[in-house]
Amino acid sequence: MVAEYGVKYAVHIITNHFGDLVAKVCDCLLRRGPLTRQNIKRYTELSDEQVKNALLVLIQQNCVQAFSTEQPGTFGDAPKVNTQYAVLFDNILHRLRFAKFLTIVSQEFDKQCGELLQGLLEHGRLTLKQMFDRAKASQQEGNLVVLDSVREILLKLVTAHYVERCPAPEPLLMPTNEEENPARKRGPKSAKKNEESETIEQQVIAAAVPMEAMRFSVVTEMEFDDGGEGKEKSKNRMIPGEKRKHHFLESDDCGAGDEQTVLYRANFEEFIRHLRHKACIDNVRERLDDGAASVLSAMLEATRSAEKKVKTKNSVPLSLSSIYEEVIKSEAGRNMTLDHVRASLVQLGQPPFVKGSSDSYSIEFEKIIEIAQNDEVESIVLKRYGRDAYRIFRLLSKAGRLLETDKISDTTFVEKKDAPKVLYKLWKDGYLHMESFVISVLVPENNFTSMYFVKIWLLKKLVVAGARQSQFLLWKVNKHILWEHVLDEMFHAALNLSLRVACELDQEKELLNLPADKRTGALQDRYNRLRKVRILMESSQMKLDDSIMLFHDF
Amino acid sequence: MSKRKRPDSNTPADALTEHEHIIYDVIRSKQDMGIWTRDMKRELQTNIPDNIVTKSLKSLQAKKLIKEVVNIQNKGRKHFMAVEFKPSKEISGGAWYVEGNLDTDFIKVVKDQCIKHINRLKVATLEGITDSIKRSGVFKDDLTKQQIEEIVRALVLDDEILEVKSNGSGEFANIPVGKICYKSMSRGSSGGGPKLQGLASVPCGVCPQINLCTPDGIISPKTCVYYTKWLDF
Ligand code: SF4
Repeated sequence: MVAEYGVKYAVHIITNHFGDLVAKVCDCLLRRGPLTRQNIKRYTELSDEQVKNALLVLIQQNCVQAFSTEQPGTFGDAPKVNTQYAVLFDNILHRLRFAKFLTIVSQEFDKQCGELLQGLLEHGRLTLKQMFDRAKASQQEGNLVVLDSVREILLKLVTAHYVERCPAPEPLLMPTNEEENPARKRGPKSAKKNEESETIEQQVIAAAVPMEAMRFSVVTEMEFDDGGEGKEKSKNRMIPGEKRKHHFLESDDCGAGDEQTVLYRANFEEFIRHLRHKACIDNVRERLDDGAASVLSAMLEATRSAEKKVKTKNSVPLSLSSIYEEVIKSEAGRNMTLDHVRASLVQLGQPPFVKGSSDSYSIEFEKIIEIAQNDEVESIVLKRYGRDAYRIFRLLSKAGRLLETDKISDTTFVEKKDAPKVLYKLWKDGYLHMESFVISVLVPENNFTSMYFVKIWLLKKLVVAGARQSQFLLWKVNKHILWEHVLDEMFHAALNLSLRVACELDQEKELLNLPADKRTGALQDRYNRLRKVRILMESSQMKLDDSIMLFHDF
Repeated sequence: MSKRKRPDSNTPADALTEHEHIIYDVIRSKQDMGIWTRDMKRELQTNIPDNIVTKSLKSLQAKKLIKEVVNIQNKGRKHFMAVEFKPSKEISGGAWYVEGNLDTDFIKVVKDQCIKHINRLKVATLEGITDSIKRSGVFKDDLTKQQIEEIVRALVLDDEILEVKSNGSGEFANIPVGKICYKSMSRGSSGGGPKLQGLASVPCGVCPQINLCTPDGIISPKTCVYYTKWLDF
């Protein structure tokens, strides 16, 4: 389930983009999980028409995925198929990352690719014909747009996996990852089993996605042959004019591979993977140096195609020579010697960013991400609670186990009387986990000096006659819970930031509507201030979103 | 109150009242831990009235048999110890404490020295740092390896230096494989903590009121003063 402020933030985004009605449906799905149209109507108290329209918008914008489940019929009735709608939380957040996605494409490709992607991001999903129409509408004089050239551009983006075919509109929900055999029927009972490890939304996405070869292929007017799989082949299949036969994988995949019916959309997964790689490189550059960053970047390039999902733990192994080969391909790495690369790999070995053993090296994504996450949380602790708290937090975070107050104050050089206060504050705000631990020392009647220690966990005090009790407090960082908490604070902060931006702009509405030549004197000053405010806030939004990705998407 | 001479008049406990004697024995038996007056009263076999206890303690102090020490765990409590003992670490707080307070000035000096020597050595083991500091002769009394270790550990927590394991090659060439070493931070001179990341760079990230702040509440981003200050150009 998405955290409270995650839901609020997502609904805020949808309200801004598509208005209150659509947001209401979105809110309902985010809070209640997948629902039938009937139930959405019931919970939102909207009319059937309103619900339908809201769902259409959300589906068009890739924020909702429909799916069907089958309920076995009772008393000899035929099984009943139910259509439900699942909201895709991640895709809602991606809406604020469109600028980042466009930057990636415009850096890697030309302007036309950027324009095509922009169309897809704006409209959610488009057919080749629609893309062509858009290109024609914006064409400049003397610059004739032909269908084939639009197809070429699309092909480039599809080959790079930045654009994909839309998923099946309404897959039958399968209990396990059986994309290879989507026709097999399963009762809802067995569907339950998998829910612990995979959310329904994840299952729906997995069930809807077309097979790799189909997902990244571009239709031609001609029928084509669906021979081998893999993107290398699919590239060849695109050459227009070649005789091919279409093979149907999904019932929705339109008949004769028609440019009017097959829908395309931006493949967010690939963009996120790209941003994840970039975050890894930036992190390594900051901790180590440019050489290490170049080596990591080359390794990412060489292993990218083998990555199956965004949250890959580690890359496939590479040999030193293959890494070197890749390094010298890049501009930054062209001057690196083999020795330099080897030295960088040694550098990357601590704490393992890259794990190496006998000429095989693989990237430890998880470690790199984890360190970046630690940095983020530590920087919050430092700024919010001060340096003593920062040292204490780092001690507990590194220790990964319960430590006692005294031991903490000794190790961190925090005054004995201050340490409990700092610890308490961190605990109260959800940054630490605390356990109390009572030791009873039995003081026997005679002066017999042996002592009995009785441990009682968690405030369950044992009453022993004549016993003296001392309470000890033990502390620890529970990363799993804390990370969720921090992420929720990030959503909260992002929501606040966005609300404040709107508020600032709203206050100066009149000023903004004023023509430039009327802005003089004090007005000009106010305008300049507003510009600075906007730049600061918008860049902060971007940075904050980077952090959200670090905790949510990577 | 009966005064009774002890047979052996050479002991320091000479010329003690019976009560003083009992109290002294209890305090002394606690060695370098000393004892809190209330705990002591509880341990006394016979019931001695409070005013007598107080008087006896005064007298024992005057006779230089016991001393009052600061107990770091609880500075408000009266804590006594026989004069011949040095307060244990639990009571005094250890080498970094003077009279129950953390000796922050001294700690700062030792920290700075450690950083200086690590920077000079680039990569150093604990022994290397201790040695280097000893040879520099900055400190009148040599610091023990353990003291240096405590400081170096704290510097790691401060993110001023890095703790790494030697792999025996490159900069670690002179250090056995697997040995823990300390390295100066390569990232500029900024040192001491991470750069401000996403959440910490906006007002809400460091806001003490975040749990009370709601879009339309009394504390709300629309009226938030932290934002007003942040956006004050
Ligand atoms: S908007 Fe203001 S009051 Fe609310 S959390 Fe952010 S900084 Fe704090």
